Amino acid sequence: MATCYAAGAFASLLAAWSGRLALVVGHIAAFAGAVVGIAVSLGILLGDPVPTLTLQLPTLFPFARLSLAVDGLSAYFLLVISLVAVAATLYGPAYLQAHSPEAGPGRRATQVLALNVFLACMVFLCCAGDALSFILCWEGMTLASYVLVVSDDTDGENARAGLLYMIMTHAGTAMLLVSFLALTERAGAFDFAALRTAASGLDDSARTALFFMALVGFATKAGVVPLHVWLPRAHPAAPSHVSALMSGVMLKVAIYGILRFGFDLLAPALEPLPSSWGWTILVLGTASAVLGVLYALQQHDLKRLLAFHSVENIGIILIGVGLAMIVWRREEVGGTLATLALTAALLHTVNHAAFKGLLFLGAGSILCRTHVRNMEELGGLARHMPWTAGLFLLGAVAISALPPLNGFVSEWLTFQAILGGASIFHGPSGLVIVVSAALLALTGGLAAACFVKAFGVTFLGRPRTPHAEHATEVPFSMIAGMAWLAVLCVFLGVAPGYAMRLLDAPTVGILHGYGASAVVTAHGPLVLSTALTLPGVMKGTAISMTMLALLLLALLPIAWFLRRGLRPYPVRTEPTWTCGMSPTARFDYTATAFAKPLSLVFATLYRPRHEVIRETAGSPYIIKRIHYSGEVVDLAETQIYHRVQHGITALSKAIRDNSTGRIHGYIGFVLGALFLALLVFGGGQR
Amino acid sequence: MSIEIVHRIINDFGALLLFTMILIVAANQISGAIYAVAAQSLFIAIAGAVLATATGNVDLWIIAGITLIVKAMVLPWLLLWVIRRMDVKREVEPVIPTLTTLALAMVVVVMSFHLSASLDTVRQTITGNALPVGIALTLNGVLVMATRKTALSQMVGLFSSENGIFFTAMAVNKGMPLIIEIGVILDVILAVLVMTIMVLRVRSTVDADIADLHRLRG
Repeated sequence: MATCYAAGAFASLLAAWSGRLALVVGHIAAFAGAVVGIAVSLGILLGDPVPTLTLQLPTLFPFARLSLAVDGLSAYFLLVISLVAVAATLYGPAYLQAHSPEAGPGRRATQVLALNVFLACMVFLCCAGDALSFILCWEGMTLASYVLVVSDDTDGENARAGLLYMIMTHAGTAMLLVSFLALTERAGAFDFAALRTAASGLDDSARTALFFMALVGFATKAGVVPLHVWLPRAHPAAPSHVSALMSGVMLKVAIYGILRFGFDLLAPALEPLPSSWGWTILVLGTASAVLGVLYALQQHDLKRLLAFHSVENIGIILIGVGLAMIVWRREEVGGTLATLALTAALLHTVNHAAFKGLLFLGAGSILCRTHVRNMEELGGLARHMPWTAGLFLLGAVAISALPPLNGFVSEWLTFQAILGGASIFHGPSGLVIVVSAALLALTGGLAAACFVKAFGVTFLGRPRTPHAEHATEVPFSMIAGMAWLAVLCVFLGVAPGYAMRLLDAPTVGILHGYGASAVVTAHGPLVLSTALTLPGVMKGTAISMTMLALLLLALLPIAWFLRRGLRPYPVRTEPTWTCGMSPTARFDYTATAFAKPLSLVFATLYRPRHEVIRETAGSPYIIKRIHYSGEVVDLAETQIYHRVQHGITALSKAIRDNSTGRIHGYIGFVLGALFLALLVFGGGQR
Repeated sequence: MSIEIVHRIINDFGALLLFTMILIVAANQISGAIYAVAAQSLFIAIAGAVLATATGNVDLWIIAGITLIVKAMVLPWLLLWVIRRMDVKREVEPVIPTLTTLALAMVVVVMSFHLSASLDTVRQTITGNALPVGIALTLNGVLVMATRKTALSQMVGLFSSENGIFFTAMAVNKGMPLIIEIGVILDVILAVLVMTIMVLRVRSTVDADIADLHRLRG
């Protein structure tokens, strides 16, 4: 695997001859790496008992031995990464050629090199067996993705997005580093086993402090509200297949970090986790889910919209993780609920990787054919790009959590877990869980609305601009990349029971309790059932996705019949009547108009600002032209970041106003301070 | 030489050093202050030589030699050369009146003796009254830096400050490691070189000095 990525990285050297050759070879090498990754992870996940692969790496540093250790959790995330990487590497070469054909070999080489480094770092991060290689891969991942973010275009927007990304993630990494170093200092070694032993001796407050520091680091990377501000800027800026990787996979690596830290490294030996951890993650997850989808609704830039949806989906995953942390090892609950919640979170991880990857690749197809990201300038693409449209629709259905696709399965499981939790906890904590369930339901509805908008405005109606009118279908390799993820979406949706088998190893590995399939597929792999052994409050429920899919297929002819067959009169198809004017694309429903009702409902959150300028000719009734511009603000940005910014500016201004700039004054201060110090501390020795 | 004689010699040199310090603080002309600081360095070199003969420490001979050549000859000559080169303002230009500065310097000297009385354990290891004199020289050097407007007179302050540290270091019974003393001297040489170059450059481009730096404030 490492060989493949290394080969890919070296392939960038080929760019000396030809940018195109480097592109193809580099991506093929990465593709091979991803396939090997899938094979390795499946081998581990399906092994019985689950083998743990450990590998000593050659000694690079005198003070630490590097090693790889792949257990169930690592293998699962390795699988997720590799699945999306396959699609992205299939898609990449054609996309980069089509999107920026004028790019020279230098830029191609950089992109290929960074892509391979990025993938390799993510893979080895999940397999890291010691703190040092974890941190090294973490940094490598950040730097490589930074290079990819700024590589795409030469305009200042990308550079700014990249800079913000760098600053935010480095601040997060600093916190992470502190947490790691505190542990390694205690352990005296870098490997995870030693850290585990060191952590078991910690007292509760120290443990919690370390966890929260690490959480800040991971949450920054995962784009959890309110640390998400870099995400909607940086993700759209990268080349689309890299956006798919960043959104679909890189955020998951942060989830891996949270799980690894929370359940494994920092967990107490036998007691439950401190309750503040789970509740914090649950609340943060809920906030991210709701705010992410709300801001996504108001975006008219297709890739930005998708990036905000990543915030939402990370929120959903974190709800599951938080719940699992809350109930894990608490006596009165039993082990099944924790397993259920964690299963939901992990399943949503792979599901989100699949459909968000698919959607980003779809958006990339549109982008490379039209060079437009604003969906108000698109429209009518379904006619010119039928494959892309169909696959994008599939992804949209999946992300909106509609059956029978995979998004539904994991959100259903999350709901089951939350409702199970709500039936256990009473009082305020029960209320928090219920509210979180309600908000999750709201999230699902809003996501559906958002994708009706995204798909409808982009693909249906008439082309609004010449860009959209002259779009053509993308080449086969790009469609193949998308189709691979679409197949995953359908498979995970229709037969999720088989995926549960893969989830056994990670859930047993970190919870030391029931496996996923024991809890979820009690009645055979085609039926999902939540066999909760709760104290008599709620019976488990069951659903069969396969049957559901068959049912929907059976309903299809009926729908067709209702549409076509039941009309007793002949039907004529004519253009829409537009009061006698000839219809133009400007008459179509726009994205802004679609989102308007919701922006009115959530005006408190959006603080929308819009402005209408009329140009009249002579009389106020004769309007020549109307300009409309509107925008919504990100609450976290204005309420937190701008305030912090103002605070810092005010502080520096105060310092500047109070400093004279006279060097004599400063030397005088030094003298006075010296004198005082001598008086105070010198006298003390008497 | 017996210990008592060495002590008395060091004490006498301490008095001479304090006297030169007062000359530096009170000087009206920069050149006067430079001659005073050169004299101060000369006394320190002689004191070093005396200590070297008393203790038989070879390192001290080297240090005394370096002090004599660098601090008593080369650097004062360099400063005088800069003054001649710039050919402007030979007055010291104090920030506060010289008389007040002198009063402050007296306070500093008295306080140093008072302080070193309380630092008894440290004082045991240092020959004679070198410790209070060293502290007084150091603090007074900083005082000179704080109360002078031009960069050149500030350099003189830096010098005497350095001399104070040096004197104390020499008088330590066991002697300081040679490498540290040479390092300190190198520091001073570098600082003076950089400041000299800066003064010349700033003068040749804009007619400004240290006191005008506060205009740079945003």
